[in-house]
Amino acid sequence: MSDDPFEAIKVTFFQECDELLADLEAGLLAIEAGDADDETVNAVFRAVHSVKGGAGAFGLDDLVRFAHVFETLLDEIRSGRKPCDDPTVKTLLRAADLLADHIAAARGQGAPVDEARSAGLVIELEMLTHGETGAGPAQPADPDPEVVLPEADEFDFRPVVFDLSTFEAPAAPASAGARWRVTFRPHARMYANANETGLLLRELARLGPVAVSLDSSALPDLADLAPEESYLSWTVDVDTAAGEAAVREVFDFVETDCDLTIAPASGAGGAVASADDLDIAALLARAKADAPAPEPAPVALTVAPTPVVAAPPVSAPTASAVASAAPAAAAVTIRVDLDRVDRLINVVGELVIQQAMLAQRVVESGLARSSGISVGLEDLELLTREIQDSVMAIRAQPVKSVFQRMPRLVREVAEMTGKRVRLVSEGEATEVDKTVVERLAEPITHMLRNAIDHGLEGAEDRLAAGKPAEGTVRLVALHRSGRIVIEISDDGRGINRERVRGIAVSRGLIAEDAVLTDDEVDNLIFLPGFSTADTVSDISGRGVGMDVVRRSIQALGGRISIASTPGKGSTFTLSLPLTLAVLDGMVVTAADQTLVAPLTAIVESLTPRAEDVHYVGGHDAVIRFRDQFVPLIDVGLVMGFRSAPAVPVSGVAVVIETEAGNRSALLVDAIQGQRQVVIKSLETNYQQVEGVAAATILGDGRVALILDVDAIVANARRRSARPDLKLAS
Amino acid sequence: MSEAFSAATTSRELIAFRIGEQEFCVDIMSVREIRGWTPATPLPRAPGFMKGVINLRGAVLPIIDLGARFGLRTSEPTARHVIMVARIGSRTIGLLVDAVSDIIQLTDEQVQPTPDVASDHVKTFVKGIFAIDGRMISLIELDRIVPESEAEAA
Repeated sequence: MSDDPFEAIKVTFFQECDELLADLEAGLLAIEAGDADDETVNAVFRAVHSVKGGAGAFGLDDLVRFAHVFETLLDEIRSGRKPCDDPTVKTLLRAADLLADHIAAARGQGAPVDEARSAGLVIELEMLTHGETGAGPAQPADPDPEVVLPEADEFDFRPVVFDLSTFEAPAAPASAGARWRVTFRPHARMYANANETGLLLRELARLGPVAVSLDSSALPDLADLAPEESYLSWTVDVDTAAGEAAVREVFDFVETDCDLTIAPASGAGGAVASADDLDIAALLARAKADAPAPEPAPVALTVAPTPVVAAPPVSAPTASAVASAAPAAAAVTIRVDLDRVDRLINVVGELVIQQAMLAQRVVESGLARSSGISVGLEDLELLTREIQDSVMAIRAQPVKSVFQRMPRLVREVAEMTGKRVRLVSEGEATEVDKTVVERLAEPITHMLRNAIDHGLEGAEDRLAAGKPAEGTVRLVALHRSGRIVIEISDDGRGINRERVRGIAVSRGLIAEDAVLTDDEVDNLIFLPGFSTADTVSDISGRGVGMDVVRRSIQALGGRISIASTPGKGSTFTLSLPLTLAVLDGMVVTAADQTLVAPLTAIVESLTPRAEDVHYVGGHDAVIRFRDQFVPLIDVGLVMGFRSAPAVPVSGVAVVIETEAGNRSALLVDAIQGQRQVVIKSLETNYQQVEGVAAATILGDGRVALILDVDAIVANARRRSARPDLKLAS
Repeated sequence: MSEAFSAATTSRELIAFRIGEQEFCVDIMSVREIRGWTPATPLPRAPGFMKGVINLRGAVLPIIDLGARFGLRTSEPTARHVIMVARIGSRTIGLLVDAVSDIIQLTDEQVQPTPDVASDHVKTFVKGIFAIDGRMISLIELDRIVPESEAEAA
């Protein structure tokens, strides 16, 4: 069962597990919040059940065993035999986390599951299951795994395995009770509701020895077979001491969807089918229930499950649709190779540039604005914009995939710190480029940890401060002026400015007598080497601080800022571009060349005054910037565009901050303006060039280079270390 | 590219072009298009034959001055110069030449090995020479036009 096509199906299974886990967690959180209806509970049950079913098909026994115990408790809750109170939901949530661990382990990702923890939770779940109702005969607590494995129904791959042993060797002890004759004719609606004759028969078999016979007389020829219709009926003789009520209970869920008679059977024997008959009957039943289109039964008989699910793109939506079966219609999606999307984005980028160039040519040609060409061109521009937006939207994904991992993190951190925390997330549907989404998880995780560990007070402190004992952490995503903004706020103690200041001074980050605004003090925590935790805690003090967060945000072309009110809490605000394909840049001129500096690196720009520029050791210029001397780097010279240094006072100094937090000033001739530019790779056709991050194409069709400010600063430092080094031109 | 040469029929089509007084040619299959010269954006610290990059329908296209690459001479390009857009390996490169003259049909037998009089530098790029209509044309091996990164760093 481990050949290659099977592996491919397994990959699909794990992808679906991710979706199912998300459904599961969302459902449980809804139950916890008290706004759950029956359908929510059912959805939660189905999610776990589908995981179990799929795992059974792949022989992932550990996962199956855990999922089964989990599912059993959910079934009790679903059927109303077990109230779903707060402690139960908490346990269910932890079980969901552990289920995720089990899946990760089965997938070969992450550490193996902590056996003790798993076993402990299994006991907890079982105690909850049996705590009040006790084990009913129809709800065995610890079934033989073989019984579990074929339960791959509801899930899309249905192994064509029908385990007769369960009929011949009943799990419940046989008893010398009465014999009941059950005649059972399911309606098509029963199958439509995802019920399964095989399961019902197996339930019956648990009550005692059974003899099953199939009546297939109503089955039409293949040509007349309606795939959704139900043609088969069964007669079952069951020997059980459990009584009629127990027999009837088996059909509890389907009673209205079938013709059912249950009567005491007369005499032994009755209609006992041979094993062969039964097998074919079962398979026929399955083939009929499964096949979306008329499918010859022999195919289902002879082939392995593989062909049914050979095409993951088709089977995946089906499976998840079955699994979620939400009242709302499932969104219709297709899976597209990312390369194709990127190619499309590239071509559209070219279209936009070409359109801009064409527009410029038309203006240059002196045509009247009212001329047919100009008007047509304006329409073209609108269409082009629309195409570009639509194409960018293809790569866009909701931040939900990141946000939904956070409740678990918050639970774990809350448990470790002993604080009571409520996570409120908003704007999960906010969309942003896929690459950005993927790289958001780490900074958000880090900042949430920080918010709980450092931001929130303990329960006593909170009560003393007149706040509710439970702290609130908010995680909000929204679109603002063409960027995505993510806010992480807590209602904790806020930033202790005295302490932050003290630490900054003691670490030599600021001078002891430095005059700083509150805002500037708050922003000190982003400096490299700053960590406010007195003791390195397991949660947020892993040797990395907020500077790492800031660096990863900057690498995405984003900015981070903090606002804090003592006693009221802090808010971190991340602002990121919606896509990595474009960049906000400052277009500048140096030695007749048009260059683009990334806006995220720029602090401010100023016109150098002669008295502010000084020379250190003859060549290296520095400029006074807010009582601080920063190196003044002549961009034209460093890039090799000119050999003689420019006169500082005739140009503009753009103060930039490198990723390491150092400031420098780039001397350019002039600033043309601020613009959003499309990033083009130089490496595709040439190679990496030092000091150049990428290229872009401006409205006039010329290529402009995007500066790599970090490399330029490093290069300038090397040059000043070796003043005799001549640039190759 | 050279494999395609030998595997195909012995006759093949070449594009002939001029740099100064000399004529060269390359396999027509590697040339994507021919366009007029547009001012290029210079690249910092690039070798002298690298004229910079231009915009080719949204792609960044590096321009190599073939004359400079062959060590012939360098002159400021004008609007009358021509860029041959060629596919070399996985890259697309623009080759700056003086003019494209014509398309030549040629069989392998007509090609002679590069005579010893040529300098080693030229021999690096010239695969062979042949005479046609009283002209002598050098056959260029495009694979060697783009320097390897390590060679360029030197």
